[in-house]
Amino acid sequence: MSSSVPDYSKNVSVIEGKPSLRSIDDLISKPLDTKPDKKYYIALAVTTTMLMIGAIALLASFYYGTGLWGNNNPVGWGFPIVNFVFWVGIGHAGTLISAILFLLRQKWRNGIARFAEGMTIFAVMTAGIFPAIHVGRPWLDGYLFPYPNQHSLWVNFNSPLLWDVFAVSTYFTVSFIFWYVGLIPDFAILRDRTKSKIKKTIYSITSLGWRGSNRHWQHYEMVYLVLAGFATPLVLSVHTIVSFDFAVAILPGWHSTIFPPYFVAGAVFSGFAMVQNVLIFIRKIFNYEHIITIDTLEKMNKVILLTGSLVGYAYAMEFFIAWYSGVQIEQFTFVNRAFGPYAWAYWIMVSCNVLFPQLFWIKKIRRTIPLMFIIAVLVNVGMWFERYVITVSSLARDYLPSSWAYFTPTLTDLSILLGSFGFFFTFLLLFTKTLPVVSIVEVKAVVEGSQPSHKDH
Amino acid sequence: MSSSEKVIEYSRKDLPSVVGKLGIVLFVIGMILAVLAYMSDPVRSAFNNVILLEFLTSVGLGALFFVALEHLVGAVWSTPFRRIFEILSAVLLILPLVALPIFFHVHDIFHWTHTDVVAVDEILQQKSPYLNMTFFTIRIIVYFAIWIIFYWLLIRNSKKQDKTKDQKITRINARISAVFMPIFAFTITFSSIDWLMSLEPHWFSTIFGVYYFSGTVVVSLAVGTLLVIWLNEKGLLVKGIKKDHYYSLGALLFAFINFWAYIAFSQYLLIWYANLPEETFWFIQKWEGSWMIFSIIFLIVHFGVPYFGLLSQPSKMDPKRLKFMSAWLIFAHIMDLYWIVMPTFSPDSFVFGWIEIGFIILGIGIVMVVFYFKARNTNLVAIGDPKLQRGIDFRL
Repeated sequence: MSSSVPDYSKNVSVIEGKPSLRSIDDLISKPLDTKPDKKYYIALAVTTTMLMIGAIALLASFYYGTGLWGNNNPVGWGFPIVNFVFWVGIGHAGTLISAILFLLRQKWRNGIARFAEGMTIFAVMTAGIFPAIHVGRPWLDGYLFPYPNQHSLWVNFNSPLLWDVFAVSTYFTVSFIFWYVGLIPDFAILRDRTKSKIKKTIYSITSLGWRGSNRHWQHYEMVYLVLAGFATPLVLSVHTIVSFDFAVAILPGWHSTIFPPYFVAGAVFSGFAMVQNVLIFIRKIFNYEHIITIDTLEKMNKVILLTGSLVGYAYAMEFFIAWYSGVQIEQFTFVNRAFGPYAWAYWIMVSCNVLFPQLFWIKKIRRTIPLMFIIAVLVNVGMWFERYVITVSSLARDYLPSSWAYFTPTLTDLSILLGSFGFFFTFLLLFTKTLPVVSIVEVKAVVEGSQPSHKDH
Repeated sequence: MSSSEKVIEYSRKDLPSVVGKLGIVLFVIGMILAVLAYMSDPVRSAFNNVILLEFLTSVGLGALFFVALEHLVGAVWSTPFRRIFEILSAVLLILPLVALPIFFHVHDIFHWTHTDVVAVDEILQQKSPYLNMTFFTIRIIVYFAIWIIFYWLLIRNSKKQDKTKDQKITRINARISAVFMPIFAFTITFSSIDWLMSLEPHWFSTIFGVYYFSGTVVVSLAVGTLLVIWLNEKGLLVKGIKKDHYYSLGALLFAFINFWAYIAFSQYLLIWYANLPEETFWFIQKWEGSWMIFSIIFLIVHFGVPYFGLLSQPSKMDPKRLKFMSAWLIFAHIMDLYWIVMPTFSPDSFVFGWIEIGFIILGIGIVMVVFYFKARNTNLVAIGDPKLQRGIDFRL
């Protein structure tokens, strides 16, 4: 460790170099002005193929019924719920970055917020598919919403599954508005620079008459702050309620009071890992390396380390309290998780979520792109398996040993999972070509010298 | 370095001696009352002693947590008053003395220490590898030792930097803090299980450590905020601490009140909803007889009032409001501890008398005395910290 001590008395700029405002405009809108290259089409072909495989599997499930899935008795919650929780979790980083880090005045978020918000919206859309199909007869999904009807059929307001409907749809709505509000000044910039008539019309409509006047900015900043204030409790509430789906039940391994903060930490953990993974490509392909700097990635890795450790703390507490409680079935559940038929999934989960992220204590690893990429991929693998372990292993070994069974996913299950990745990444690819993936105005705000300084009077 | 380098305006002044005098008066009154209490009702006093111990742990350990947090995340805005939290964390040093009287009364407060009770209780037998006097004592000593070692390391380095202005120390402290954080997480959790959760040895909740932590950060931040604003108004801190800093303290306080409420609600809702008798009795206890009234008032005091009191933007910058809310939250946390501890002592109705008042006075006296004597021979600002000027320049 012979690296020199950094100078703590100086502010470090979020953006490297001192790019001109014009060059930022040009750089960020370049993908929108140019035709996509061959690689883009190849990527799109791959993701749409994945999407089609999922769509076919889904259509088959609609036609033949959910018997095509691995769900059995007692494991009634199979892949769909695992995937739902996984994707909702991915959707957490966006609003955390854009709203919570905004309230905490973390300037490094400016370069990555837009993209993360976009990912949030697509991830929540992906997640939304699963409860809708898991009901088995998706054409009856309308009944999920409480409305007076001829059959006097009402939803169960006592059930967290219903709270999920409200929480996720509210979250989606607010995230979408937040994202759109952030885009308005950028639309205006695009409107002013484009030469195509069609684009000009579209951007004129979407920019809502933005002229960048002082009044506009004042209102804009206030709205943005208020929306951030609204979005912050929402981020926490969504995964809290997802955790309630499990924790209010009296099934051992599900009923644990630490679930709400533990699920939120886990969601942020996987969400950051996914954002980090995709950003690594984006900054390279679009030449944003001076905007989304290594410092920014390092900070993201620190968040991954923190949330991963929190998840590890929760695992440890669950284990300890299961023993401490003196309740036989609680103790059995956790021993069964670690050494029972699902031990393979459990140890994948522990090693990917708790052990590998600890490598981020080492600065070199935090700043080496291939290594951080691999660790973040493993984090997402681990977080998917966490939901698998919680959902499946507890159901497969419930109170009644005669009803125990082993869950094996079918080809249809796996195809739908693949399809969900296809769905997500297809949207993501289209996003990169239609909207500025980095906020132009927010990046300009953190260029060195852009803010009035009190130092040089 | 740019030509705009400014000179930091700070000259060391002693705290007004009134703090020390008032602190000593409170301490002596509290001490006398506590001794009388132990003579008249030792069991009730021992329970109050647990509350006192946990209150002081919250203040001292919470302050050390904020010091370590600043080092770890490289925060700048809090540097001008980090020293206040450093001095405050000296409360950790007297914890062993406060814990000592409890050890003479363990049988009165900890059900699981009775071997004859454990012998006929299957659940307690299962827990006995953890809940037994030897291991308990070892654990308590280990917690105290760990906390005091980290206190000593972090604060010694910070004071050394006052003289040397060596940037290396900032990095060393960041590294020490990185080691401290996971250790802190586990020691605070298990110490809260030992002192508070094991009062009802049958009860268990996985979130309990987080719950205690959430109260800890609220109260230590409240004490710190109160001191920072007061000392700054007296002109004892560095020039340049302004509304932007106050706002940040207020916002953080507001955030942690919400965090506390979130954790408390999570714990309550999940236990209420699942309705398992081995868990619900802990809450039912706090809903029986006059405890119900106490519980309702407690919620309003710990969440309702501070939430609305600090919600608006101007209120987070208003020094008067902040001082009032900070003082309020100190009592709210004492109420929280009382709510956890006392139903075990008096299940039918809540009791409040001169014994409780005596221990509260003693707690506040101890914090004041420790702060006064620790602040006497040291700078109240970490003047050697390289981040100090940036911290003074901090703007929202």
